[in-house]
Amino acid sequence: MNRKMLGFALALLVPLSALAACGPTPVPTAAPVVVTKEVPVVVTATPAPTKPAKVFKVALILPSTMDDLAWSQSMYQGVKKVKEEMGPAMEFTVSENLYKIVDAGAAIRDYAGKGYDLVIAHGSQYQTVVRDIAREFPKTSFAYGTGFQTGPNIFAYDPQAQQGGYMLGMLAAGMTKSGKVGIVGPVKGGDAIKYNEGFKQGVAAINPKVIVLETYTGSFAEFVKAKEMAATHMDAGADVLTGTAQQSVSITKAAAERKGVYMLCSDMDQSKLAPDTVLASQIYQWDEVVRRMITLNKSGILGGERLVLDFSGGKLQLVYNPKLEGNIPKDLKDKVEKAKQDIISGKLEIKLP
Amino acid sequence: MVEQLLAQGFIIGVLATSIRLTAPMLFAALGEMFAERAGVLNLGVEGIMLMGAYFAFWASFTSESPWLGLVAGMAIGGLMGLGMAFISVNLRANQGISGIGIYLLGWGLSSLFFRLTFGAISGVAGFQPVNIPILSAIPVLGPVLFQHNVVVYIALLLVPLSYVVLFKTTFGLSLRAVGENPEAADTMGIQVYLIQYVCVILGGILAGLAGAFLTVGQMNMFVDNITAGRGFIAIALVYFGRWSPYGILAGSFLFSIVDALQMWMQVIGFGVPYEVLVMQPYILTVLVLALAVGRSGGPAALSKPYVRGGT
Amino acid sequence: MTPHDEPPRNPIAPTAAIPCATGRDQTVQFLEMKGITKRFPGVLANDHVDFQVRSGEIHALLGENGAGKTTLMRILYGLYQPDEGKIAINGKAVTIRSPREATALGISMVHQHFMLVPPLTVAENVILGLKSTREPWLNLGEAQERIAELGRCYGLRVDPRARVWQLSVGEQQRVEIIKALYRRAELLILDEPTAVLTPQEVQEFFTILRQMARQGQAIIFISHKLHEVTALSDRVTVLRDGQVVGTMLTSATDRQRLAQMMVGREISFQRYKDPVNKGEVALELQGVWAQGDKGLPALKGVSLTVSQGEILGLAGVAGNGQRELAEVIAGLRPATQGKVVVGQKDVTNRSPAEIIAQGMSYVPEERMRVGTIVDFSVAENAILETHGQAPLARGWFLDYQAIGRYAEKLIADFDVKTPSQDTPVRHLSGGNVQKLILARELSRSPRLLVAAQPTRGLDVGATEYIQKRLVEQRSKGTAILLISEDLDEVLALSDRVAVMYEGQVVGVMPTSEASVEELGLLMAGVKKQLPA
Repeated sequence: MNRKMLGFALALLVPLSALAACGPTPVPTAAPVVVTKEVPVVVTATPAPTKPAKVFKVALILPSTMDDLAWSQSMYQGVKKVKEEMGPAMEFTVSENLYKIVDAGAAIRDYAGKGYDLVIAHGSQYQTVVRDIAREFPKTSFAYGTGFQTGPNIFAYDPQAQQGGYMLGMLAAGMTKSGKVGIVGPVKGGDAIKYNEGFKQGVAAINPKVIVLETYTGSFAEFVKAKEMAATHMDAGADVLTGTAQQSVSITKAAAERKGVYMLCSDMDQSKLAPDTVLASQIYQWDEVVRRMITLNKSGILGGERLVLDFSGGKLQLVYNPKLEGNIPKDLKDKVEKAKQDIISGKLEIKLP
Repeated sequence: MVEQLLAQGFIIGVLATSIRLTAPMLFAALGEMFAERAGVLNLGVEGIMLMGAYFAFWASFTSESPWLGLVAGMAIGGLMGLGMAFISVNLRANQGISGIGIYLLGWGLSSLFFRLTFGAISGVAGFQPVNIPILSAIPVLGPVLFQHNVVVYIALLLVPLSYVVLFKTTFGLSLRAVGENPEAADTMGIQVYLIQYVCVILGGILAGLAGAFLTVGQMNMFVDNITAGRGFIAIALVYFGRWSPYGILAGSFLFSIVDALQMWMQVIGFGVPYEVLVMQPYILTVLVLALAVGRSGGPAALSKPYVRGGT
Repeated sequence: MTPHDEPPRNPIAPTAAIPCATGRDQTVQFLEMKGITKRFPGVLANDHVDFQVRSGEIHALLGENGAGKTTLMRILYGLYQPDEGKIAINGKAVTIRSPREATALGISMVHQHFMLVPPLTVAENVILGLKSTREPWLNLGEAQERIAELGRCYGLRVDPRARVWQLSVGEQQRVEIIKALYRRAELLILDEPTAVLTPQEVQEFFTILRQMARQGQAIIFISHKLHEVTALSDRVTVLRDGQVVGTMLTSATDRQRLAQMMVGREISFQRYKDPVNKGEVALELQGVWAQGDKGLPALKGVSLTVSQGEILGLAGVAGNGQRELAEVIAGLRPATQGKVVVGQKDVTNRSPAEIIAQGMSYVPEERMRVGTIVDFSVAENAILETHGQAPLARGWFLDYQAIGRYAEKLIADFDVKTPSQDTPVRHLSGGNVQKLILARELSRSPRLLVAAQPTRGLDVGATEYIQKRLVEQRSKGTAILLISEDLDEVLALSDRVAVMYEGQVVGVMPTSEASVEELGLLMAGVKKQLPA
């Protein structure tokens, strides 16, 4: 009933706003980004265009929330940035907390059926469900990642997380006093495994004697367990911690509650949460990827491309926490910078097992 | 490897961690025990915990007092319990389904409120560990038992307290009778609905406290879905513990110790695939529940709404 | 004994807590109900009922199911409000709005289904809902003492520390009475209290009741067992169709007359005179063992034979393996050892369908749960077992016209009172459901009929009808295993009687040689007769 009423109201609103647009001083109003948990209701007060320019519709499926300070938020901010550039020419809807593939599948199908141009399913676990649904909607572009298998209308994006992992690993090995550093991982797979592998190689590159404690919670969102696990690492002597996925905020928080422990972040910079603990972060610049997919789609290419995020393209970046940057010895920082340049030039390749 | 396992630091680490992990499950499971003993199955514990977690975080962030946080968590928990009591006692809705409804409501609302009031993950100071004088200096036992924050002690004290209420008071007798045979209780002049309301609200308050513990006593921050299924584990623990406070203590401690142990084994690098290790507590739960089937002991009228003089 | 020649009050000295003798004036009317009328949609349940009970008397309330006994007692107990009429207690007009108020007025009810909490102890059950002397703390010690005291006064022996689920049914009933006495009840309503007891337990129970009455307790005894009413009560009130047919001194009436008042026509207590004409053995059990629902052995080597043309009555107190035995024969419960032979065929652990094909019919104990599908219509229930066969079905499809004709015939033959054959069985009375089941089962002309508690809970009229049909079927040559907890029924119908106790057959004898006393001893497990 309510939804019907809403429909009526919207149906009335659209011609009204069109009338308003015919007035003497049309006020160009930017279409607001409306975020809903389920069915998107996008209220576009777009003036009726004189020459019909098609609005590009993007849907984003997130495994956690858009403010998780990690994986989901980084992508959300990327899409949002593109949206800000494109203005009314783009519509943008988010569905959150769809960690379960079945739920995500329902949402993906829903968006495709509603005529969205690009549906981004932000997680490696969505690969199969995207592949199945993409066959049914050949005119819609789909995207997922971390992954590399594409389809005629499927983009795969593939952050080379091991690159930043390597540099952060170097920092960890150089900064530890105890000779032990800890990785609290979510599950062994996808983005996390790449990052952790690079991190371990980076540690070994600086000091092979430093012990890397590597554990997994078995989940992306076991916040309590991630924090207890981080505490366990520190009890066992680790004084530099790292980890990925949304539960990494727990690791940051755990590290912040002890003295003399550094945290190295990936996906997002969490230094605002713990300004005295987060030393450096690898951050993802998704806007480039999103922009590229929209351009390809508009030119008729609906998929088939693997989009790599790496340091050479600037889609991955290393940022230091300015407050703690001074604590890093100059020669260590130089070594990290050199590794970065070698990675960009292709001289150094982080091999994954 | 074996020496490492037997090292004092390792054992202290495992035990201390498991006591911290036990506390929230104790609160939630003891609360659920009261509700179930009175015949109401509240599957919404997880949602109530989430609301308790959010409100405790919000209150302690705003007031900078973790105590006010606890009070706020308990208050919202009691309110949600009141809702569950109304749905299951007055409306006599299917308790399984309405419990899931409460869970989803709690999750959704806590998530929404968090976004409206904070919008970004931030932290609070929370409760700090209190070293109990003298006792905390005892080797091994001290760090394991007597160096926690005050809420952990409250959780542990709640076990004997619940036992006394359940088995040594007229109220406890009445609520046990209500859960076993509400019709008999009714004919004996016990106000069945009132008892059920009190117990479900009490269960809500304790679930809210469990959530509050997570945000102001353990994590010192709020994130969406912070409970990650602990409310459901608490319900399983009530079965595991055969609806008795000490059984629940044993169950939740066993569960936590296995969890803590697997964390430590991962940290040490035990050489067992982590997938096997992280499953341990859950495998244990399923095993114990499977073995416990057939043993009677659950309240006979559990999840059957009571209607006077009819079926 | 009539209330007029009371012995002196009980000499046991009253204690501070609960006096054994109540010291009540036994000449006063404790309860007076006048002109009580209660209407339910379409039914006049009580029609200007007058009913009085004196302190110290046992007053039987007699009537068929639906006669209005239950309604009247529910009004007295505060569960219903009368539309008209007045209630007075000790001469004072009262309104009873709830069981709580009834209790406060000294009225207590022992329900047919005990209102006990099995996992709790006797003492906990007794003090349930009462304030403790050490509120909010329980004072179980005090309660246990007072319960022991009551036990001494009235011969109500029971361990106050025992858990209720450990007690026998008779002991549980004593707990119910103690609950009432503990609350200083002056009027005790007993709803069909002997249904669950062995004959010996009944005797003991009656002794207790008489002692309670002597000490000034007023007792309403609801029953439809005429011989118990005549044996126990001082006065009888008979209800029929919501009206009082009469109230009289028990000593001034007899069973035949009471039955006539109750039913409104003459009732024959003689079931049949045909001599036994035994045929082939239809059922043979050889050392059958089986497990009960809780995984413990419920049958421990049962051996029995039933021949065509005879009724074997299986007596016993509920829960001694009778239900499990019936289920093993019907193929609903696996036998762990032993052999079940129906006809000449070994059907041990075969499917119900195979056993039915051997000519077995089964009237289960739980007629609403096992015997019928309550949401199905009368017609559908009539064809539950035969629906796959011609002429009821053609291929995969049911022929509803044929089914209709078939159901019509069964309804007419067995006098099933139903608005239509499309009415869901849920809306039928117990007697009519049982008639329908019997019609269905007998329509297949079975070789063997296993009838478990076929008349339990039925009124006198329906009971008489069912019993008549069973005897007729026996004369037609069917072997009948009649499982019943009603010893009168077993003795009236059977050619031979077997007694079960704790999963074993402890005695088998021709009915002509059986006495109630001996059967009672066998049922209580006191005696064991081994067949020679």
